Formats: sequence, C-alpha cells, structure tokens
Amino acid sequence: MTNRILTSSFCLLWICLWGSSIAQAQSIQATIRRVQQRTVKVFGAGGIRRLHAYSTGFVVSRQGHVATIWSHVLDTEELTVVLADGRKVRAKVLGAEPQLDLAVLELLEKDLELPAWDLEAEVTDAGPGTRVLGFSNMFRVATGDEMVSVLHGVVAAKAPLTTRRGAFESSYEGTAFIVDAVTNNPGAGGGVLTTRAGRLLGMIGKELRNAESNTWVNYAVPISELKQPIRQIIAGKYRARQRDPDETNVVARFRPLEFGIVLVPDVLFRTPAFIDAVQRGSAAARAGLQPDDLILFINGDLVQSCRVFKQSLGRIDSGGVLKLTVRRGDKLLPVELPVPDKPDEPDTPDKPEKPATAGDTK
Amino acid sequence: MMAKRVSGGISLWLAIVLVPSVCFGQQPPLNLESLEEQAFKEASAVVAPSVVRIQTVGGLDRVGRVLTGTAATTGVVVSADGYVISSAFNFASRPASVLVTLADGRRFPAKIIANDRARMLTLLKIEAVGLSVPKVAPRDGFRVGQWAIAMGRTYESPLPNLSVGIISALDRIWGRALQTDAKISPANYGGPLVDIRGQVIGVLVPLSQRQAGKTAGVEWYDSGIGFAIPMADILSTLPRLKTGTDLLPGLMGITLKAGNVYASAAIIDRVRFNSPAEKAGLQPGDVITTLDEQPIRRLVQVRNALGNKYAGDTISVVVRRGEKSVEQKIQLIGKLEPYTPTFLGILPARQKRGEAATGVVVRGILPESPAAAAMIRPGDKVVQLDETPVTDSAGLFDAISRKRVGADVTVHLERGGVRETVSAKLAVVPNQVPAVLESQIIAAPEPKPPDLPATGRFNKDLAGHDNNYWGYVPENYNPAHGYGLVVWIHPGSDTMEADMFDLWKPICERRGLILVGPRAKEIAGWNLNEAGFIEALVKEVQQKYNIDDQRIVLHGYSDGCRFAYHLAFKYRSLFRGVAASSEPLKVTPPENRPDLRLQFFLSCGDKDNLYRRVQQTRNRLAGMKFPVTFSTLAGAGHEYPTIPVLDAIGRWIDMLDRI
Repeated sequence: MTNRILTSSFCLLWICLWGSSIAQAQSIQATIRRVQQRTVKVFGAGGIRRLHAYSTGFVVSRQGHVATIWSHVLDTEELTVVLADGRKVRAKVLGAEPQLDLAVLELLEKDLELPAWDLEAEVTDAGPGTRVLGFSNMFRVATGDEMVSVLHGVVAAKAPLTTRRGAFESSYEGTAFIVDAVTNNPGAGGGVLTTRAGRLLGMIGKELRNAESNTWVNYAVPISELKQPIRQIIAGKYRARQRDPDETNVVARFRPLEFGIVLVPDVLFRTPAFIDAVQRGSAAARAGLQPDDLILFINGDLVQSCRVFKQSLGRIDSGGVLKLTVRRGDKLLPVELPVPDKPDEPDTPDKPEKPATAGDTK
Repeated sequence: MMAKRVSGGISLWLAIVLVPSVCFGQQPPLNLESLEEQAFKEASAVVAPSVVRIQTVGGLDRVGRVLTGTAATTGVVVSADGYVISSAFNFASRPASVLVTLADGRRFPAKIIANDRARMLTLLKIEAVGLSVPKVAPRDGFRVGQWAIAMGRTYESPLPNLSVGIISALDRIWGRALQTDAKISPANYGGPLVDIRGQVIGVLVPLSQRQAGKTAGVEWYDSGIGFAIPMADILSTLPRLKTGTDLLPGLMGITLKAGNVYASAAIIDRVRFNSPAEKAGLQPGDVITTLDEQPIRRLVQVRNALGNKYAGDTISVVVRRGEKSVEQKIQLIGKLEPYTPTFLGILPARQKRGEAATGVVVRGILPESPAAAAMIRPGDKVVQLDETPVTDSAGLFDAISRKRVGADVTVHLERGGVRETVSAKLAVVPNQVPAVLESQIIAAPEPKPPDLPATGRFNKDLAGHDNNYWGYVPENYNPAHGYGLVVWIHPGSDTMEADMFDLWKPICERRGLILVGPRAKEIAGWNLNEAGFIEALVKEVQQKYNIDDQRIVLHGYSDGCRFAYHLAFKYRSLFRGVAASSEPLKVTPPENRPDLRLQFFLSCGDKDNLYRRVQQTRNRLAGMKFPVTFSTLAGAGHEYPTIPVLDAIGRWIDMLDRI
C-alpha cells in the first residue's frame, strides 16, 4: 500500500515536471483542465472495516448524469457528488450494469449545465505504448473542493481480463486497457483514462488482483463497451444483462474416464496432468494417447494441473471434437477425440475449488 | 557511432527539460510527445519477434512466503538456434514442464539448460532454428535518464505488453544490474528492457540488495524500482551457460573485519580453510588494497568488485602485509568447504554481573574431550591460548574458533595460583548431550533488590505490536546472574501454554532459564512477517532481565518449527540454538559461521510419519558442519517430547556456551 501511494506521488510529481517543462505545456494543461472539469468525486457508504466510502465518476450529460463504478459506495440513500467546481450535490442511482461494473447516477438538482463528455465524438481506442492520463479521487487526496488527481503512464496491453476462469475476481470479463501506472487505488474506480490529447479511453476499474501472477492489475474498462448501456440507462430503456449461471451450479459434463483417460493421482495443488493409463478400446486409445503423456492444452487452453484439466473437461460442449496437445518426451503432439453427444442432465454437480488467493493485506 | 547517437538523443531531452522558458509558448516544430510515443511503439515492434511467452505446468504453489504465479511469463531469444534467456523467478516453482510460444504462435516444449545464480537468470532451449535475435544496446552507451521500455508477453494479446520509463541508475546490486522506473513485475520478468531505438538494454529480473534467492525483490514490483541485467553481460556468459553448468557467485573465502563500510579499510579477519584465499597465502590482518585492478579504500568496494565475478573467474588481489605489498592471482570458487567448529571441551564459569574477568575459570570438563585428555580440571583458569591472551570466555571462544580441527594448541592455565601450560588437540563439537550435567547454582538474591522485575508466570503486551506473549521467570530470579532464554514457538492452532508451563517450570528453575511464549496473531499459525515481533520481544526481555546472549534458543514443535527455523536464520546474531521437535527443515539453512554459532537439538518419534525426514534434516545440518543433537522418541508418533527428552534439551541449553 505504501508502495502504491509512493508510486502515485512520484507520478504526480512527474506530471508537474512535464507540465511545466515541455513544449506542449499549454495543450497538456488544457487537456488536464478539461478532463478534470468533467470528473467528479462520489461519496457514499463505507468507512468501516477498511472499506472506502468514496469513488470517482465522470459527467456524461449536461443535465447531470454521472457514470461511475458499481460498488458498495453506492449502497446508501445519502449519496453525494462533489463537482469539479466544488459544488456538492445529492444524487441517486439511476441504473446499473453489475457485469460491466457500471452505474449511472442522476444528480438531484436542476439546471446544472455541466461540462459533459460527448460519448459519440470524444471516445477513442489505443494500443500498447500509447501515452495515457488517469484521473481519479484516489485515496481521497483531493479534499474539499479540490479537483481529482492525475497520473500518467502508457497502455501496457489491451487484453481480456480473464485469461481463464478464476484468474481475476472481477465481474467485468471483457477486453480492458491495462496500464503501467498505478491507477487502480482505493476510490479511483469510476475515474477516467484518457489519451494525452484528452480523448476518452476507459473507466478506471476496481482494485484487482490477478490470481495467476499474484500481482495487482491496473485496468480500465473501454468506454466503447460502456457508452451504449450508459445512454440506455439515461433514457430509461436499459435492461440488465442476464448473468451466466453461477459457476458453482455448473455441472461436470464430461470426465476423463469417459474418454478412456486415467490421470495420475491428484496429490498436489498443481499435480501435472500426466496420463496414468489409457483404457483399451477407448477414444483415447484410438487417438494414440499413451501412459506418461503430459496433457498440456485442452481446446487451446493451457492445462496446468489435473484439477484444471478436470474442470475444463467438465465445461466442454457435447458433440464435436476435443482437441488435446500432449507432451511425449520432447515432442508436442496434437490429438483429436470425438466428443459424444450428451443430454444436459447432470449426474452430480462439480464444485470447482477456488484457487488459493494470497492472504496479504493491502 | 551508435553510442554517439544515443547520447545525442539524451542531450536533446535534457535541453528540453532544463530550458523550458525558451520553448514555452512557442509552437514546436515537431510534436515531441507524439513522436516519442511513436518511437516507443516502433522500438517495441522491432524487438517483439524476439520476445516469447513462457508457460509452466506443475510445480510448487508457494516458494518461501511468495505465492508463485501460474501466469504466463516472458523470455528473450538470445540465439537463432533456440536459446531463450529468462528470469529465474519464472522457474522458482520448479515446474514439471516448460512451454515456449514464439511471437509467430509456434509452440515448443523447452528444456532448462542452466541457471545464473548470481544474476538470477535461467537459460532455456527449444528445438527451433531461425529465431529472431534482437539487437543489443552497447553497454558503454547506457545513460541515466534515457528512455527504457520494459516488455513482457503475459497477456492474451498478439502484442507484447509495455511499460515505459527511464534508466534510473547504472551498476546497481554490486554492479550486476541497472535500475529502471518502468513498472517491472511478474508481467514482464524475463522480458527485455529496450532502448528507444529498439535495442535490448537488458533482461528484467527481480533483485534485492539485501537478500538472495529466486523471489527476492518481488516485493518491489510495480513500485518504480526495477532491475535489468545488461544483455551485453548475459551474452558474455552465454557460452558457459550453454554448456549446462550453473554459474555461481565467485567466492574467495575471506571475511573482513567489521567496520564502517564507507570508511574502514578492508582488513582480512578470517581466511577459510582450504579456500582459494588460503591457498593463495592470504592471511588475517592483510589489508586489501587492489581487487581486479580496482583500488580498494573502503569495505564496500570489495563487494562491488566481487559482485560481478563468477566461480571459475580469476582475479588479481593486492594486499598490504606490514610494510610489504603482495600480489596474488586467485581463482574463485562457487562453494566453500563448510566451516567446522572447533572444540576444547570446557564449560566456562559464567561471570556474575560486575565481576572483572582476568581469565576463563573452568566450571566443568566435558567427558572424552580434548580438555579431559589434557587433564584440565574444574577450577583451572585459562589465561592464554597459544600466543593469544584470554580474559573472558568470548575471547577464548574466538581464539579457538580461529583454529582448525586437529590443531595442537597450548593452553596456559592458572591452577592454585601457579601458572602451568598443557597441550591439547582440538576436536569437533560432539553431538552427544551427557547424561549428567551439573548446572551452575543460582541463589536467590539476598537481600532482595527493590527494583526486581516480575517473576513467576505472566501475560504481557509488547508496545508497538499487535501480538502478546506469556512467560515464566523462576521465582528466585537473581539479576546478578545471566539466564538462558527459551523462546517457545507454538504450533498452529494450539499455544500449548498450560502443558508448556508445567513441563518447563522445573527445567527453567534447574537450568537458570527464562521461558517466553509469544502468541501468533492468527491462532491458525505464524505468518513470516511476525518475525519482527519476536525480535522485539527478545530485545525487550534482554532489557528487563539479565540474559546470557550465548544461551538464547528457539524451541518449536510440529509446524511451529518452520517459523523457529526462519527466525534462527534471519536473526543469526540473536539466536544461538534451535530445539525443533517433530518437524523437518524445509528451507535452505545459511552457511555455518565461526563468529555466529548456531547449534541444533532435533527430536522426533520413530512412529511419526516425518521421522525419516527429520533424520534427513539432521544429516543435512551435520553435513553443513552445524553441531546437531538428535533424540529419538522410541514408540512415539507425532507428539510433543516427553520429560526425559526435555531434560536433555535443558542440559543442551546449559552447555551451549561450551568451548
């Protein structure tokens, strides 16, 4: 946590140096000023058990609609928004899309005439290396009527947040901007990521830990994903998406034995998926699989352990082809096995174990 | 030519930073910002074909206290015929299988060829040819302040992930690495750090100036402090790595006299037996003046000069010995012969507080020891060993520790007021605990001092820490005498307080010991970051009570031992012994050191599933020449030791200060 604060303050310092020194000083400052005027601070529920009671939002209509992150902060009647000019206005949640971590607030004051983002004309896209600015109410550093903080960095990647199930505990599963600045801090969610020319890229997401690499990930949800729901929520026409059935209710459709594969005993947290035996006459035998083959990929996804293999197998569609890649000695061999048709009648539910998450505190 | 162009770029950058007033307000001829951004992207595109994705299958999920990721990591192609260099961090979990995916999507199983254990790199080989090898930035062109782009291939994206920063410093971690403020994390460990022209500056690794190990430095991820090993250095050691032998940090076999690292001269304190330094004739007292052509004026320069050296490298050393200057060539080695502690066989009388020491009075003689053979007797006072005058037991121990096992020494004694000399042949420290060991009797203080600290059983908080502890001090505590300290590290889920108190109270009284039982914050077990609390607790007890620093021991049972071992290895200068029951050692112990002695008492039931592994622990520690006592609990399973074994531990603690 201290590290994150430190880093953030370094970045802030950087911005100051840049702002005052480089030739585009005016335009950068104009960009920052312009974005700050469209960014607001949101105050609501929290304040206990280390839950912050604040987040960030950005103005999406002149009449006073604010897009922000869907979080516990909004879970109160006493929701207030501090505008860039320092005015404090009450607000209510107009609508939300939890799968996108998106909520839209309505400010409870008329004729505000706010500077607002034009979600049609001012949104753009960016790839790795594009320089970006992040604006947010992180750590509530901006007190009273002060405007939100600015960080700088580059887009590190534009990639899906979920590389496999359980990698992130995020409700948003689509493609995100991953940035190399530490943008995702307490209270930063709902802030904006822009290019240095002030074009809108994304909404800064939650504090998120990547369970695969055990590191914190700084990401923003592309506005291109959000603008449609935002517009519909404002128009009162939005219907929240249907959630996928909860993972715990997913049934294991197939088991290794149904293909004639006997795995080695799963004794470790990460027992590699070695084949212990192949049943005579089975699909696996016909495909030429052998004992001691190490299963590495299932339908293109890496199999890191017996556990993952069983989980992945449980999710494949009935009918069609199961593509496996195995390592035999020093060679990688692709094999294909026919998947039998199977009606969706579950025999027993398969509860995937949650991967252990590190117990460290922030 | 190349270097010139790089530095040209930097001076332009500096000029812009330093003279804002000139530029401010003028329309620049070029949009520098967008040109730079373009350059970041182009530089990364040039190197991208050489940046590979690495996935691992199987392996541990935890290395030390770091939960290792299963995420994809990164590597850099170093030769067209299939060699890939990566960070050793990516293989810390000892995976069963390693896969490399090239930028073009082709996938290969990889073999781990060798590790560079100084720079924490791992060389992989895949069966592929015609790979794209990146251009390497010349080492003499590096400038602090130049752009540095960190690249990884960890996300499911056709493009590598980037982080942009500058070079923050050169020659960090004893000359092994350069530092960057680009965000370095498991997302790009093993990936390249690239200059703005698309040349590889180095390979990103986690490093720490304080610790060694595959996961050291990871705590700095994304902090703005990251390290890269210069690619030019990697290429120079590549032929050696390709032969399949691990590269180890080079050792000479000397320790230097402690002092101010910024000011004190590098004076050799000890020379390890059979080490390259001894074979080259270096001697204690020699002052190192030049190492590998570099003049040495301060202690810290020795480490800098050696930091970049591997086992097998030959360096030149110039030392000043008296008036002479002696030059030697020394070939460094990777592993020194472990130090074997030497043993005379006496138990020194413990001094009372305030007593002037004029020699070491013998309290007891251990059976079958060199001292017994030399007819040294209780009551004798040792005043000199060979040429070294001895005033106290620390001095005698130091003098003995500088001798070799098997050495003949002359012990000068005062016996009944008469000075005598005897000869003894030093032996190894025995691993047996005698069945009977007289303790030094401590009487209750008479009269009782008014400021006597608490005695008996107590519960306490420690200021500044969330944890608390319990303890027991013998009722007849006498502050004139030094007491041993037993720090009880309870197993997970059970502090065993009532049993421990009942079992240990008589031992504490008989052997002059104080027992403290720190409690883990979470009852489920110890977290390694509670180590600071234990250290603070020991210091607190040392302040309040008269503690003999030669007899501070950690005592653990079952999984509590893991934390006890961790503490013993982390605070070498604090703890002198570990009494571990029913738990094998799972981490690598540090080297045995003559100046900071550490002794072990292991016990385990022979019906315990862990019995064989605890025996292996004994063998491992004994192989490293630590004194290890082993006690088998006949017929016992996984259970806390019985009273006879605890009595033996009591005797063992009572002779930790044997010389």
